[in-house]
Amino acid sequence: MTSSAEHTPERPDGAAAPDASAAPARRGRVRARRAAVMAVPATLAAAGLAVLTAQGALGVQFAISGMPFTVTATELDGTGFAQFGGLDEMAEGSPNAGDTGGQVLVVTSVIKNATLSKLCQSVDLGGTNLVIRAGEGSQKVRASDLTTDSTELTGDAAFNNIEIGNDASTLDKAGPNGRGPKGVFSQQSDTVHIANLRQTNYATTAGVFKLPGLKLGFSGSGC
Amino acid sequence: MPRGPREGVRPAFRQWRAGRPFWGGLLLALGGVEVLLTLKASLDVILHVGMQGLAGYLLPVVMLLCGVLILFNPAQRLFYSVIGVLVSLGTWLTSNLGGFFIGLLLGVVGSCLAFGWLPDQEPRVSRRRRRNEAQAAKAVPQPLEREAGRTA
Repeated sequence: MTSSAEHTPERPDGAAAPDASAAPARRGRVRARRAAVMAVPATLAAAGLAVLTAQGALGVQFAISGMPFTVTATELDGTGFAQFGGLDEMAEGSPNAGDTGGQVLVVTSVIKNATLSKLCQSVDLGGTNLVIRAGEGSQKVRASDLTTDSTELTGDAAFNNIEIGNDASTLDKAGPNGRGPKGVFSQQSDTVHIANLRQTNYATTAGVFKLPGLKLGFSGSGC
Repeated sequence: MPRGPREGVRPAFRQWRAGRPFWGGLLLALGGVEVLLTLKASLDVILHVGMQGLAGYLLPVVMLLCGVLILFNPAQRLFYSVIGVLVSLGTWLTSNLGGFFIGLLLGVVGSCLAFGWLPDQEPRVSRRRRRNEAQAAKAVPQPLEREAGRTA
């Protein structure tokens, strides 16, 4: 170990500036071997995280927001489902507000425990799409407290024990996250099954995702 | 831009940079910003975050802080870089796969650069020049060898 960074004795302040261009002065720099001491374990740890996530052993939190993004899945099975209307507010003076007054009408869906097969999620970054795929093999994607604010939701749905027309503040089947504001139309059910799901979302509040067979990449086309 | 002040500023900045792990701190801070941006994206719609989402914001903020502190308090760089690398790896779990990997990569590279940085080093000598000098030292015996050993 050497002394602190401010310790630069052989550099009189006045002489250093012209010296810098002519003959290189003594200055701090990165020693490759010292950096490797940290870089090697860090790389191994990062690789380990990626492998564990791809095997579905580690859950991952997602909190994408702001840009509309698309989620598709061939099949979604869930227990504890609640759905209600809501308004998402844009940041003040957002250029995307247009004539909407800065608000987006969304449908909030909450699923306490969900499994999805062939999940595909894409965000349009303008020109290119960031695409995440998972659950294409035998293992399915699992998510808990999956909360999505969607503007569009299509698919073939089947519900068990559905209650339609509740006040959104009285919902109880999807846990504490699955409750909306008072006086808003809502519905809830014990289980939900949606085939050929396709959602356009504006926000996902953090749900823990387990992503077996994770593939993350950029692509010209979305989901 | 007037030339006078610019010429004064750049050597001063260069000198300031020489006294701290500049790229390490900068990359770590940028990594934190990138992860935060992927959480907030273009700020179109405000997200409602619960307790569970809090860690997703906390970790990139710690990354950003560590990066800035490495720049302005380089004496403690080892501690900051260790925290920085752990937190960067943690964002894989808490914040959109570490800002879709980009922020995580910036954070880890920045932390490693900060960790490997040492103050007050000899000017960099290119690998080829070092090898040539070593060969020259091997070819020509005693007196030159001592000189080459001093510069390399």
